[in-house]
This record gives sequence, C-alpha cells and structure tokens, in this order.
Amino acid sequence: MGLKPGTNPDVEAATIQLNIDGKTVTAKDGISLYDVISMTGKIIPAMCYHYTFDPFGSCGMCLVMQEGKKAPVRSCTAKATAGMIIRTEGEDLFLARKKAVEKHLSVHPLDCPVCDADGHCELQDMAFEHGVTNLANAKQKFIPEDTRSPVLDFNMNRCIACAECINVCKDVLMIDALQFMKKGGFNQVVPKGDLALSCEFCGDCLAVCPVGAITNKFSKYLYKPWQMKKTTTTCNYCGDGCQMYLETKDEEVIRVTSPLSWKNKWGDRSETAKGHGGLCVRGRFGFEYLDGKTRLRQPLVREGNRLVEKPWLEAMHLVVDRFSNIKSKYGADAIAGLVTARCTNEELYLFQKLMRIGFGSNHLDSSARYGHLNFVHASKHALGLGRTPNDWEDLTKAKAILLIGSNITETNPLTAVRIKEALRVYKAQVVTLDSAVTNMAKLASHPFVIKPGTEGLVIHGLVKATIELDLVDDEATRKHPQAFAALQAAVAGRSLDDVASQTGLTTDNLRDIATIFAEAPRAIIMCAEGIVRRAGGYDNVLKLIDLAWITGKLGRPGCGVNTVTEEPNEQGAVDMGVAPEFLPGQASFDDPVARERFAKAWGAALPVSHAGSSLVDILKGCKNGSIKALYVLGENPLETLPASMEVRAALDRLELLVVQDPFLTQTARQAHVVFPACTYAEKDGTFTNLEGRVLRVRQAMDPIGESLPDWHIMTSLANALGCQWEYESVNDIQSEMMKLLPGYYNLGQPRKVVSAPDRYLENGYAAEVAVRYRTMPTSHDSARPFSLQMGQLLMHSGKMSTEAPGLIKIAPNTGKLRMSLADMDRLGLQDGMKVRLTSDLGSLQLGVQPDQSVAIGTCFFPEHFNEPPVKDLMSVSVDAMTGVPAFKQTWVSIERA
Amino acid sequence: MSVSAMTKKILHAALFYEIWDAMKVTFKHMFHQPITFQYPREQREIPHAHRGALGLLRYDDGRERCVGCDLCEVACPSHCIKVISAEDTARPLQRYASEFYIDVTKCVFCGYCVEACPVNALAMTKMYEYSTHDKRTLMFDKKRLYNIGERHLNDAKQYLYAHNQEKNVEESREYRYYFPQSVLKTTQTPPKHLS
Amino acid sequence: MAFEDQRTTIYKVNPEHPESETLPTLRTEELLLNLGPQHPSTHGVLKVILELEGERLVKSTPVMGYLHRGVEKLAEDGTYHQFIPHTDRLDYVCAMYNNFAYCRAVEKLLDLKVPERGEYLRTIVAEVQRIIGHQFWLGAQALDIGAMTVFFYCFRDREILLDWFDELCGARLTTSWYRIGGVERDLTPGLIDKLKQFIDYFPPKILEYQVFLEKNRIWLGRTKGVAVISAEDAVNFGLSGPTLRGSGVDYDLRKYEPYSAYPKCEFSVPVGKNGDTYDRYWIRVMELYESVKIIRQCLEQMQDGPVMADVPSVTLPPKERVFTNLESMIQQFKLFSQGFQAPPGEIYCGTEAHKGELGFYIVSTGGGKPYRLKIRAPSFIHMGAFDHMSRGYMISDACTIFGSYDIVMGECDR
Repeated sequence: MGLKPGTNPDVEAATIQLNIDGKTVTAKDGISLYDVISMTGKIIPAMCYHYTFDPFGSCGMCLVMQEGKKAPVRSCTAKATAGMIIRTEGEDLFLARKKAVEKHLSVHPLDCPVCDADGHCELQDMAFEHGVTNLANAKQKFIPEDTRSPVLDFNMNRCIACAECINVCKDVLMIDALQFMKKGGFNQVVPKGDLALSCEFCGDCLAVCPVGAITNKFSKYLYKPWQMKKTTTTCNYCGDGCQMYLETKDEEVIRVTSPLSWKNKWGDRSETAKGHGGLCVRGRFGFEYLDGKTRLRQPLVREGNRLVEKPWLEAMHLVVDRFSNIKSKYGADAIAGLVTARCTNEELYLFQKLMRIGFGSNHLDSSARYGHLNFVHASKHALGLGRTPNDWEDLTKAKAILLIGSNITETNPLTAVRIKEALRVYKAQVVTLDSAVTNMAKLASHPFVIKPGTEGLVIHGLVKATIELDLVDDEATRKHPQAFAALQAAVAGRSLDDVASQTGLTTDNLRDIATIFAEAPRAIIMCAEGIVRRAGGYDNVLKLIDLAWITGKLGRPGCGVNTVTEEPNEQGAVDMGVAPEFLPGQASFDDPVARERFAKAWGAALPVSHAGSSLVDILKGCKNGSIKALYVLGENPLETLPASMEVRAALDRLELLVVQDPFLTQTARQAHVVFPACTYAEKDGTFTNLEGRVLRVRQAMDPIGESLPDWHIMTSLANALGCQWEYESVNDIQSEMMKLLPGYYNLGQPRKVVSAPDRYLENGYAAEVAVRYRTMPTSHDSARPFSLQMGQLLMHSGKMSTEAPGLIKIAPNTGKLRMSLADMDRLGLQDGMKVRLTSDLGSLQLGVQPDQSVAIGTCFFPEHFNEPPVKDLMSVSVDAMTGVPAFKQTWVSIERA
Repeated sequence: MSVSAMTKKILHAALFYEIWDAMKVTFKHMFHQPITFQYPREQREIPHAHRGALGLLRYDDGRERCVGCDLCEVACPSHCIKVISAEDTARPLQRYASEFYIDVTKCVFCGYCVEACPVNALAMTKMYEYSTHDKRTLMFDKKRLYNIGERHLNDAKQYLYAHNQEKNVEESREYRYYFPQSVLKTTQTPPKHLS
Repeated sequence: MAFEDQRTTIYKVNPEHPESETLPTLRTEELLLNLGPQHPSTHGVLKVILELEGERLVKSTPVMGYLHRGVEKLAEDGTYHQFIPHTDRLDYVCAMYNNFAYCRAVEKLLDLKVPERGEYLRTIVAEVQRIIGHQFWLGAQALDIGAMTVFFYCFRDREILLDWFDELCGARLTTSWYRIGGVERDLTPGLIDKLKQFIDYFPPKILEYQVFLEKNRIWLGRTKGVAVISAEDAVNFGLSGPTLRGSGVDYDLRKYEPYSAYPKCEFSVPVGKNGDTYDRYWIRVMELYESVKIIRQCLEQMQDGPVMADVPSVTLPPKERVFTNLESMIQQFKLFSQGFQAPPGEIYCGTEAHKGELGFYIVSTGGGKPYRLKIRAPSFIHMGAFDHMSRGYMISDACTIFGSYDIVMGECDR
C-alpha cells in the first residue's frame, strides 16, 4: 500500500467523484476506499484498520458492495477510483461481516473473565453487535503465553492477527520490533526473531491491540476497564507534554493509557502531524511511583542527626519562625530558593512570588538553568523570542531537519516520532550530527558522527560552507550588509579543511549538509543537550541562528531554530520568571516598567534591581556564608551536580534548609525540615511544553498520606510570613496569571510567532559576532583520550524515574560504563570487566559493557544514577553569559583495573 | 316492624345472641391449627429459591471458583461488592480475587451477582440470621464469604439449580472451566469437554 | 401565622370591661393540625396539614417527600436491567407490579416481544400481586376504621401468597422476578399446584371479609357517603384505578389498552356509582373475585414454552452456555458491564396496577442507561385530589379518605 497522497502537502492529487450509498462524494485520487467512506461520517466496522498507518486488510470486516462485482470487497485495501458505485449497508453485507467475526471467534479462547481487555475489546463489540450466538466447532489454540519481555505479555491465544501492533511499530514508530511467525499452526505475533522483546517499550502496540493479546505486565489482572476513573492529564516526564489518561481505581494508579487506541481508529492522516497520540515507555509504564511506598507522607523535622515525623502545624511553625529569624538577623538576601521545572506553571509563578514578595529575595532559580536557559537567552537576544518558534506540525512537515547534538529518541521520544513521520510520510532529509550513534542516526538520511565537543565547530563549518557555496539567501542578507560582512569576517579565519579535520567530518560532508539545509523550502534546526548543556552553549545557539539567518530561514513559516527540554515545564519556569533575570512573561527583572507593573499587582515592592543570583551563585553564597537559608522545592542539586561544586559543604553551612519533595532525596536527607509534596497526579495546573503549548494537568487522585500540593504549601507559608494570599484553588492563581500575562494560556494552542532578527542584526551584531567564532574546542591532554559523556536514557528522566519500579525493572542501574565494542577490543576488555576511570578530578573503578550507540573514542554513563558516582569526575564550566553550569562531558583515561 | 321480627330481636337481646355468635368463632379456633408459629423455637421452612446471604463457593477439589472478573461488581445495582483481583503467583496466568468484600448493609439481595457470575462462584444461601450489634461486622470479606459458602454448600447448590444457574448438580461439574487454560507446551491435549 | 393570631386575640383585653383583663375572651377559630408524619394511620410517612374548623376539615395540604430516595435519579446511574430491584422499593407492598410496569416500558422502548408463556406467567403473578395488594389495603383500611379482625384475616391469606412468592423468586416482598424480555424463572409444578389450591380456597374467604364488613354498622357509617367525588372531578384530577372506577368511570387499562395475556382472559371491570369510600371498597373486593378468575383462566390456557425472549442483544444467554460458549460469554459480559443499547427516543407506558395507572416515562439518548426516567405514581396523583375530597368531612375521616386511595409512601415520594 502506498502513501495516501492527500496527506502530503507537496503532492497534488486529482479529485475524483464516486457514489456511496446513493450520494456523490468527492475525494482525492488513490486514497483508500475505507477512508473515503469514513470521511462521509459513515463507520464501517474494521478491526485491523487504524488511520495512523496504511490499511492492512486482514480482518475482513470492512466489506462493501461495489457495483459490477459479485462478492463484497474489502474497502480498506481497495483504492477509490472515479465512478465507483458503492453500497455500504444491507442484509448481505451484515451477514458477510458476521461471518468474518465468527471466523475470529471460532479460534478465540473462553477468556473474558480473566482478560484485561474485557469491556474494552473490539472482538466483543463486534460479536455483540452482529449477534453471533452458538458457534459450532470452536477450537482452541493452546499457545503458551510469552512472558519474556519485562513490560508486555503476549497471549497469542487471544490474537486475531489484525497486525495493528506490527503496523504501528513498523510504520508509525519505525522500530519494527514485532513480526508474524507461523508457529504451532497459527500465525502469531512474536518479537523480531522470536527472541525476548527488546525495543523502546513505548507500548503503542498495547494501545492499538483490539483484543487482550498484548497485556501490560504492571497492571495485569488488576482491573477491568469499567472500574477505572479516567483522568486526562499531561505527562510529566519530558517537555513533549503528551496527553495521557491516568486510570485510577480508588486510591491506586492502575495504568496509563494514551489517546492512541483502537477505539479511535478513524481520523485524518494529516492530523497525525500534530502528534499520533501515543506515549513512550516513561509515560506508559513509569506511573508506579505516584502511589509508591517511598512517597513522603508526613512532614519531617531534623532532631540531631535524624529526621522525625512531625505534624504539619509544628513543622510549618518551625519553618516560619526560622525564616523570619534569618530574615530579621541577616536580611532578606540571606534567603534563596531553588525549584524544579516539574512543577506546574501556577506553582512556579507562586514560587517566584513567594521568593520575591514573601521573602524579599531575588536569589531564585529553577532547573531550566541546567541548559534550557542557554537557548532562551540566545534566542531572546537574537530574535526577541524566548522559546522555540516551531511546533510539532512544522517539524513533521519540514523538508530538511538538522538534528545537532541530540539523542532525541532517548530524551524526547514523541518529538522523535514527529521526525520519523517527516522521514517516512513527508520524505524529509534528516541530518544528524552527534558524537554518538543515536537511534535517529540509524534512520536518518544523512547521519554523521562528529568528535565529542566539536558541535560549535561544526556549525562554524556549516556557516562557512554556506557562504563559500553561495547558498546565502540574498534577500535576508541584503537587508543587513554590515552584519553579513561581519559574519563573513568572523568565519574567515578558519578553513573548511581545518574544521573538517578537527570535527571528524569531510569538507564534502559539510558542504552537503549546508546544501541540504539551505535548499530546503522548510528547514528546521533542532539542537538539544549536545549544544545547550555543554560548554559554549549560548554561543552555539547563536551560531545556529546565524546559519538560519543567512540561509533565509528566519521568519519563514515552518523554519527555525528549536530545542527540546528534558523536564516537562522548563519553558514554563522561564515564562513564569523563576530566574533572577526574569519576571513573569520573560520581562527583564531590571525593566522599570515591568517592575512597576508587578509591584503594583502584587501590592509590594520587588527586591532591588540588578540583585539576585542564579544556581551556581546561590550555591557559592551558601558556601561562603552569605546565604543562610535555602528553600528547595523538588530540586536535588546534591545528586545532580558533580562533587567539585561542593554542594554538600554548601548545604552543611546553611542555618536552614527546607526541602519540599514527594520523595526523600539525598538533598532532603540534608534538610532541617522536609515537607511532603504531591506529584502531578494529585494536583491541578498547567505545563508549558517545548512547543509553547500550555497543557492542563488534572487531579486524578487524592493526595497520598498528608502530602499537599506545592501551591498549597507555599500559600500557607506566605500567609504565615504575613502576606495576604487568598488562593483557595489553582483557579485563583490562574486568574491572577491571566490578568498579569494576558494571552499566556491561549486555549492550549502554541502561539504562532515570527522570529524578528532585524533589531539584533542592526544593533551590536557586528561587534559581538566575531567573539563566538573565535572560541576553539577545548584541547585536551592526550593522556585522557576518552570523552566521558553523561546523558539521558530512554527509560529514565532525571532522578525521578528511578523511583518508578517499572522503569527500574526495564532499565536498572547496571553501574557499568558503556563503551563501543571497538574500543573494548582495543583495550582488551570484555563485558563486565572492571576498569579504572580517571579524570582530572579523580578516579574510580567500575565495570564496562559494550554499547552500539557509543562512538569510538567516547564512553557513556547515564546521568540518572550515582552509583558509582561517575558524575563526580565531571568538571564544571559555567557559561559567562547565562550562568549555565555545563558538566555533562569531560576527558578521561580508561585502563584495566 | 313486624311482630316476628320484633320477637326475634327481643329474643336475641335476651339470649345475648351476638355474644354467642362471636364466641362461636372464638371457640371454633380452639380446634384449629394456629397459623402463627413460635420463632425462634420453631423455624420457618425456607424454599430453595430463597435469596439469603451470599456465599462464595469452591470446586469439589477445594479450589476457589472465583476468577476475579469483577462482573458481579458491575452487575450490582447497589454497588455493594468490591473485588480486588490479582494474578495468582502460584499458578501463573490464573486470575483470582485477592480480596472480596460484600457490604451487606448495602446489599439488596436481588441475586444479580449470581446471575452475572460466569463461573457460578457466588450463590445465595438460606442463611438469614446474622443480625449483629456492630455494623462493621456486616462487611463480609472473602474469608467469611467462603465460610458461608462452605457451611451452606447444599443450600447454595440448590439455589443455583432453582434459579436455572446450573442444570443440575451432577451436570454442573461438567461445566467447570478453569480460566484460562494454562498452557505449558503447545502439544498439551485440550481438556475433555472442549475436544 | 394563625398561631400568632391565636395568642393575640385570646388574651385581648375586653375594652368594655377593663377590670377583667385577666380573663381571656373565649372564641372559636380555625386550628392548624399536623397529621403525621409519625401517625400510624398515614401508611408510612405522610404528613398532612389540616385546617380545622371545629372537627370539620376546611383545607388539607399534603406534605410529600419524607420517603424521597431519588429513585428516578438512581435510574440514570445504572443500566436498564439494574433498575429492576429499585422498582421493588417503589410500592413495596406490590413489588411485582412495579417490576411489571417497568419491564413493559423498557420492552416498549426496545420493541421487544415476550414469548407467550412468559406473558401468561406475568399475568398470573401480576394478578396474584393484585390480590395481595387488595388484601393489604383492605386489612389496613379496616384497621384504620377500627375493624381489627379483618386485618388479621386478610394477612392470614396474604401470608400464603407471600410464601408462594418466596418459593417463586426467593423473596417475599422485594421480588425482582420480572426481567426485560420475560421473567426470571418458570413456575414449577409444585408452585402451580399451590396456586390452584389457593384459588379454590380463596373465594369463600373473600365472602368472609365481606360478611365482617358489609353488615357492620360502623363500617357502613364511616364509608357510605364519605369522600364523594364526581366522575368529572375524578377524571380532572387524573385519578385512576379503583378510585376512578368508584365514581362510575369505566376505565381499566387491562381492558381498554390490553397487554400481556389479559386480552385472552374473560373478566369484568366492576364500576361503582356513588364515588364514595364504600364504592371504592366494593370495587376492590369485586376485583379479588375477578383476579381469581383471571388466574384460573391463565393456568388453564397456558402452554409450555420459553419464558424469556431470545434476543441476544438484550436478554441474557442461558447460564450453561456461558460456561462453554464464547459468544454467550461475550453476551453475558457486555450485557452486565455495559447493558443493552437502547435506541434513542422517549416512551410512556402505563400499566394498570391495583392502585391505578402506574406509568414509566423513559427518555433514551441511546446507550446502556436511561437519560431520564419519570414514574407516574398513582399514589402521588391521588394525593392531589385529597384536599378536594376531604373538605367538609370530619377529622376522623382524613385517614379513611387517603386510605381509600391505597396510598403507599414509597411510591408516592419515590
């Protein structure tokens, strides 16, 4: 089956007319007859059909009568042609469909009482609808269940061989982990090669399975669909902001389901450009921490070296007394706060308000500081826009995608599915530039592996190649001749050969990439952790903007420089002004107009301008004693930052450390008081995802134990400190935000924005452009030949996912360093052998394991685990412009221990 | 008024006829079987179809019939049943009810749960004397329900028969169906009643 | 308000004799009296506010809702099937007839036909229920007026039938025996024998009740000419059943909108003349004879056959098929977890219960649950005529008057 041409914007399809049930219908040529019929609003039963992939035609239900043919035809695999006369209803068709159902039922086991799909089963629906009773010669398959996979069980007795799972895996997700195999006389779905399933475990096969043949191991036999309360909410693992249904039974989270399901199989393929509705492994299987045993249920107060459970009132009194004491003794500047970007927008807003008005301090920061602020600052500086300009639809429909420094299938799996769709449906050219062999590189049209730490130089090379090949967009550069001249001068100093030799590419590669990018009508740059979390991130984003500018991609629809975020609400944290340099709405903290507006709205004076310190400075302040009290909301600097930051020493010097978290983290163990907070499942609010879309988070269950939502705790704290906050629900906070930031919610749609670089290109561009092209990749000691990189795994997100038993079961901490096979052979290492890993900052012993995705000359350790403490080997470099600490890459030596 | 009627009236008045008439009824009842009986010394005979307390049943080999399908829960008009199901770790792929509660204070004794049960694990018995001073004891849990089922097994079977849930006691054993077929090898022969 | 007046007027100083200010002036005036809701003769928890002038009723205002349980709302929560046990608790004296009326309404919505034997069984049991209902009414009404013996005699015979119900469906009052599409189980030979014995035994007993009452001067005095309502008024107030027929309006749904097996039976509809309490009593007693007649005919005419309709999308499969057959298993699961899918539409279906016309009005928007369900409860409608019928009668007649409607508060307040 070919692609449905109607969905691709670049393909013009002829319009044809055909007759369905006596009505003339207009459709595009070459599309499936089933689609044409379903577009008219008529629904013909079909069990193997789903609009996200091409028709397969195995169930035999979608029968229609075509005039001129004796037997009914399968409408899904038939192409609509002009002049067809189709009948979709009638006794004969009903009986033919009934026969098809009977065929499936005759080999189906009598499993309804135990089956998890019972009540949400298409076969049941069809049998009931068609009134099938008393089948003769039913037989059983007696196939043993395949329980080898860590997340899914395959019970092929129940399978109706509709191949929806295989098709969704192959076509939509391009993973291709399942196949049909003839076993025991039946066609069975088995993992590729009949081995244990090893894939991305996104579980979309589970979602589309119309019967109970694929079951979720984590909720197996725990429920029946009719018992569940279904809450639509937003996933809080990454910045994709996928919508999902959290299904709860009483006070227990039973499972997570996605909008993608066999139930909504009718749709327009072009709609999938906005997302196909699926989830990834984290969203679907990482829910068990929500009601886990490790959740904090009571406030904890330090007594000696122990944390003791105390009632809320006592803990709150203690905190308020101590904060007031410190404020009166040392001044407001002795108080600082850190917040995680996993909080909702409303809580982030409230947090900065609490810090600035309640405490009167501007020492506050969020986890967006770990990288996203590099992008925000660069983009805001150059384009006046502190977020990504493109949404998923732009990404899907792009003709060229330049993916630089991003392992996107691991960090943001659903954004990666958009790129996969761009590749598959819209035939985009995807260039990947990374120092690892990522999953996307395996699919991309132009995959390139570069040397670690040379991302900036590659961009330099691309800019130079674009200019050399005269791929420059005249219209864009002619407007700003001075700026263009300055850019030409800035890149002149280094030859393409030089760039090529240092980055591991060839000059032809650079030229090819530049050509692909410049010539595509819709081209998108996607940069991620390899750019924004590494040294020079701010400059590198600006270089990418330069590249987009000279190729004329700025301001053109469907083009732009984008990033992805690791935490669900990093964009929201910036927008809510949880950074010393920003007020809500990304207004500058020093902007007198904005300051006056907020001071008036909040009825109190803001801290003096030009005050305030960001994450690194706050920790420094703690260490040197200028900050006495730290309010940590969900953050965990002790486990995130390397030992060289001396976080433990800094926290030890504090007079008061208050941690508010759903779990007892390492940082919380250092605290004087720990408040139990709620997870996203227990509160209302919104997240702002990486597209800038504001998404609802809805309360699915009551708070666990005595934990409370963060906004509730902060409101009580502020009122105890003398503020007059009258928030009784999240709605109250929202209405205040709506007044202060009009249009921010925008009904959950990303606001369409146009990048405006003109002001920047005219003022000051020429002066600063040279500097960013002058920086060299840091040279390294030849005694440290390997680049150690820390990054994300698909199954995990931050430290939070390590609390989810399901995800730990899928991807446990192996405690091993991942290396390429070639390097291991060279060093004479085998899987599991111990090595000594030495960096400038220390050394430790750990095992090694081979990993195909690791490039030669590099090694990898997941950032989620601190056992062994590999993170302590990392050196930290703080970006001068944005204060972002980069600590994800360093140079090490590896020798056998 | 005629003379004879007058005489009759006087005669009736003199002889207290109405009293005798009434006493005739009273004395007649001395020779009747009384229609009341002395509960609790005498017990009512309860028909087989009677819808009394619910009990959970076991197969004759002692295995629990209930597979935890939660259908009784959804069939219940007063939402008094709660089933918590799980996978039987001892016998993988077998689902069972790890917990089973019937809130008898809410139960309306309609028998729909029995009608719904696809394995006839539930049945109503003739037990009706379980009044208590403590309302909390009227939350029947799995243990108590199996207890009732064991003690009133005969009643339960008669109930199922009376309400057409089983054809007869002998035949019902034929219908026994363990969910699901635990298949270890593909070569395993199917059970007798399915071949 | 009248209470206030009382105080100010009774202790008013007589202006002509200011020295006698301690002496109250005696005067007559209207008195408000709350009858119920705890009064034993109010058949549950009816409250009536009576305005009295001496012992005469000037105005009476019924206050409803003490037994309101939101049954109509509950119907929207469950499937159609799940509502049947709730109907048991409407008129809890005659659960079978409520089941019958509800099932008939749903069957009308679904356009479902019940097999012939099913219809005969339904008719038989409905008439048995009518006998029970009238017996209960007669006993209670006689007790209200003071004739205790009748109460015992009625309950003695009623007990036989309740035990018969217990054997039939497993419960004496909350029967839930009717099903949408038929009945739950067939009559066993034993049950048929018992019923045959009863219909031979019962007619002499009716005569016994009649002898007790119709020669009793007190009974006659308390019922004849009490609470007369003209045929025109009765129709205008929407009365139905014996209360309507007592006024001489010949209206019986069994006869004039025949359903179930009634058209196949010969019976007459007794109609009164005077529209007083006695006529309403007389009609009920006559109906006992007619019910026996109907039961006898049904038992004779009834042929063997299925008692439930076999429509896979609505009715449950036989249980033994569920054990072995996947299609029946699916049917079982779908019907219990989601219910049958009713077509969108709205219907009203009235059934002649022993009190009057018991109607169910169902609005369906498709799907397994009713969108709205309204019950036309005869007790409630009849209470609307209470004020009209009680004016001018004595306070002691109040209980007799609403008693003569056969009021049951479970149905009235729903």
